[in-house]
Amino acid sequence: MGTGETVAIVGENGAGKTTLVRHTNGLLKPTKGTVFVDGVDTRDTTTATLSRKVGIAFQNPDHQLFSESVESEVRFAMKNFGFDEELVSQRLDWALNFFELKQYRKSSPLVLSGGEKKRLTLACILAWDPEVVILDEPTVGQDALQKEKLAQIFKMLQSTGKTIILVSHDVEFLWPIQPRLVVMSGGKVVADGETSKIMADRELLDGARVTQPQLLRLYSRLRDRPASPFLNVLEARDWVGGRRARQEVR
Amino acid sequence: MYWLSGGFVFRRVVSPFHKLDPRVKLLVSMEFFVLSLLASTVAAIALVLFGILLVATVAKSLRRIGRTIAFAGFFATFIFVVNFLFGLGLLNAILYSFRFLAIISSTSVFFVTTSPDELEQIMKWMRVPRDIVFAFVTAVRFIPVVMLDAFQIMDAQKSRGLEFEKGNVVRRVRNMVPILIPLVVNSVIRSGELAEAMESRAYGSTPKPTSLYGMRLRWYDVTVAVVSVLILIAVTLYIYHFVSFKV
Repeated sequence: MGTGETVAIVGENGAGKTTLVRHTNGLLKPTKGTVFVDGVDTRDTTTATLSRKVGIAFQNPDHQLFSESVESEVRFAMKNFGFDEELVSQRLDWALNFFELKQYRKSSPLVLSGGEKKRLTLACILAWDPEVVILDEPTVGQDALQKEKLAQIFKMLQSTGKTIILVSHDVEFLWPIQPRLVVMSGGKVVADGETSKIMADRELLDGARVTQPQLLRLYSRLRDRPASPFLNVLEARDWVGGRRARQEVR
Repeated sequence: MYWLSGGFVFRRVVSPFHKLDPRVKLLVSMEFFVLSLLASTVAAIALVLFGILLVATVAKSLRRIGRTIAFAGFFATFIFVVNFLFGLGLLNAILYSFRFLAIISSTSVFFVTTSPDELEQIMKWMRVPRDIVFAFVTAVRFIPVVMLDAFQIMDAQKSRGLEFEKGNVVRRVRNMVPILIPLVVNSVIRSGELAEAMESRAYGSTPKPTSLYGMRLRWYDVTVAVVSVLILIAVTLYIYHFVSFKV
């Protein structure tokens, strides 16, 4: 995976997605083969060193939140990495603002709702500004608005040249982003390429128990259709509107 | 840690020992326990340990019990060193540390081969109050779950730059806080959820609920029980008559 690339990993439960991700910051070391992060073999360094570069937001926020306040939760990692106080408070303000958590600054992270906890874990990771951001199921428990917001965060991260790895079941969420798509099944990579191409292969998707995104399904059912599939609902709406206008002219 | 923890956790295996009635498994385990207390020579305790390992082999669980022994070995070494240094003699020091190993592994044999369901049946058979049985069996059942939780939490915190092995003793203890708080909080939440789930499944609505599976002593179980008791008597007689308290 190259610098600045956005990669999504999909696949059935137990396909090995999370196991793969755990290799990127040295939580797991390969028993066969090698994993290089920024030219460094993960077996030659520590998880703490690698984590400075590779930030992983795990699936379940309850597995990491422990501090007495939201504020100190975000500070935790930065303190571990030895940031100076000025930078810490600067990054803290940015992260809490960005994820709309400012009003909870002094509250316990344990009283937040599921979606807020999830956002807090993302804030914790992005606060230390890692070069590679890995998100394990970021859309679980988020409402439509927050998903929209997450999509914006992706765009922002992409524009700053971060390498992003997304592990997700949420094909509807991935479809508009159009990342490089890696499909895993039974511990192996079964496909790797452009989202639009892989998502068109029904047989492959069925094998990995991935459903096709609705917009692509709609597109493949249309008889006279545009050259490329709709990437979002608005595109589909515009096309349908345009078609109606064309028919009325006729 | 994970490797070690397997030594006391049940795993479904098809073996002649697993098939036994849980009461017989408990009996065998207790007999070994008693024998390890009675054995007063290095030769006798070595014989008891050998017997435990033999049963473990029959139960196809030698590796798992080996883990228990490896773990207990650490404490056994400590016992050996202390007893030896306090002048109890080499043979006594060996005897005490071996006895410790035998006691631990004899209980491990029972827990590794008895499922939580069987444990529940045994406790009911002993007329332990139902709520206590339920609490105990649930605790046993949750050990693997909580362990998995602990490892996931450790991974999450390590990914946030936490280094357990860094610093002095005080620092290391403080490093455990980010692990323990989520672990305890999760367990409390889970127990609350379990209570609600049990209540919505009518737990406690009948004073005497029936069981789907009961325990039944078959010929196979009786034979094993009788033979094991005979061996216990024989070995006890051997220890007391022929060795006569000699150390």
